[in-house]
Amino acid sequence: MIFDADQLSTGIVACDGLTPLGNAEATVAALLDGRIALKLQPVLGRDGGDPVPLAVLGGTMDETLPPRWLEPLRTLATRIPPAAWGTGRYPVVVTSSNFGVGSMYAFTRDQDARHLRHGPPFASVDMLRRELGWGDDVTVFSHACVTAQLGLAHATRLLHAGIAERVLVFSFDFVSPFVAGGFHSLKILNGTMPAPFAVRDVGAIGLGDGAAFAVLARDAAGPQLEAHALHNEMHHFTANEPSGAGFKSTAHAMAKTARGRRVWIKGHGTGTLDAGRLEAETWAKVFPAAPLVSWKGSLGHTLGSCGLVELALTLAALRRGKIPGTIAGATPSFTSEVALAPFSANGFEAVVLASNAFGGAHAAMLLRPS
Amino acid sequence: MITRFIHHVRVDRPPAGESAAEARERLREKFPRGAVRRMTHLGLLIGSTLEGLALSADDAAVYASSFAETRALEDFLLSFPSASPLLFQTSIHPGGVQQVLIGRQQAVARLWPLAGQTRLVEQALLTALLETAPRVVLVGGEERGTWMLERGMASDRAFAFALSLSREADGAMGRLEFTPPPPDGAGSCPMLGAFADAVAERRPLAWRGTGGAWSLTWT
Repeated sequence: MIFDADQLSTGIVACDGLTPLGNAEATVAALLDGRIALKLQPVLGRDGGDPVPLAVLGGTMDETLPPRWLEPLRTLATRIPPAAWGTGRYPVVVTSSNFGVGSMYAFTRDQDARHLRHGPPFASVDMLRRELGWGDDVTVFSHACVTAQLGLAHATRLLHAGIAERVLVFSFDFVSPFVAGGFHSLKILNGTMPAPFAVRDVGAIGLGDGAAFAVLARDAAGPQLEAHALHNEMHHFTANEPSGAGFKSTAHAMAKTARGRRVWIKGHGTGTLDAGRLEAETWAKVFPAAPLVSWKGSLGHTLGSCGLVELALTLAALRRGKIPGTIAGATPSFTSEVALAPFSANGFEAVVLASNAFGGAHAAMLLRPS
Repeated sequence: MITRFIHHVRVDRPPAGESAAEARERLREKFPRGAVRRMTHLGLLIGSTLEGLALSADDAAVYASSFAETRALEDFLLSFPSASPLLFQTSIHPGGVQQVLIGRQQAVARLWPLAGQTRLVEQALLTALLETAPRVVLVGGEERGTWMLERGMASDRAFAFALSLSREADGAMGRLEFTPPPPDGAGSCPMLGAFADAVAERRPLAWRGTGGAWSLTWT
């Protein structure tokens, strides 16, 4: 079944991100140099465990008081254009899959109840709201690894309904023993470094800290988010429908919107084998010869924030005119479209950015550079 | 003004203190035998409220829960250092509604899971009103926590509700209206449990939200 995308164009007024390699500009520079932020670290931090690939701001994911994500987010927020965020016609949309969940793990270790103050999603967002001076019009989405794309799509709808003048979408996901332990238990976070879209015997992901924001306005000049496509196949909690139907649904929606324009594709590309193959094959079939890249081989998977973090990196790469290739990828890849080396942005008219999530959730958006 | 009409309405408010095992016994006829033993209390309640509503792949769903899969979260945390993969995947929002839809193998066009608190109801309603799908099912609920409840980090009651919303007035049981011009100052938005109670008792609601005025009425 092919669904239509929301074809509601919005301008990106401002957008930046934060990874262990720096802000969006610095991260893209590092990716173009082929730097890998992931390092093998104990899966439970100071509690030990198997070494797994993690890319962590500050070098350790162990929980602190206040939470270790707060100061980096304060710094990131200084780059948000000022407005009466969270009030009136300037709503905020916060997206994450982790929020402050690492603090709950910390509580079970040291019984310090202060960790719990920012444990549930709404509590961590309330802490952010107070810190950053936002009002209470803050919508919170949590849909695993497509969350940020949901937030951007919702922001677009708010703008086109005339409910908002500008919308701030803010996303953050920081690694903790909670989430690292969870993915390790599923055996997809293991002692192997990820190699997105590579044909190999064992699939593996890495996990990384990431945060980003975008300010959207309906009639702003500059880069435009032209369309959003979302689909939930509901086949299995952790596996995709084997025919790739879910991937196809959003890919075909993007193709209808792209209308033959020359695109490159920022894929999801975590490093798992089945999903990676389905994704690469689908994009190659729907957009033949369109370069496909993933940056999760360097940065790890920033989970619910990946859609916005990677949008910020895409915009930074477009400003440079050079797109990082699939860091840590390898030959053979699932398709010949997988781009391992950096390439020029010249000649491309649009970019497709894809994210996928547990539960067979699929999301894609079409970006038109300015 | 944006208006949607309410068709399917169902609320499950189990007796206080009902356990997941008791809910499995009470609701077992509503689910496939193989599925029910793995479902959480919240998943069971959501499934109960969606009974009789045949969804299609063109429908969209909005899911609202402040605490979501509390029991799976609690038990997953206690499973360390040998973290449980089943509890991990169950603990992830929006597992409550996914248990039901995956059990039915029911694809939906879009799923919008929200996780706020004080303005969660109006944000979920607004998300539903902005949906382009012909029909939107709005699902919400919580399950009762144990050790996290003692710390004030979980719901003190279990409940779930489901409403289907469309532009079709014929046969509607109620209507939801949103008037966008921002009012002077927001009033207090009903909390999720209070909203579920109003729906269950078909009580009208009206409040001023952050983005406009809200009205829920029944025919």
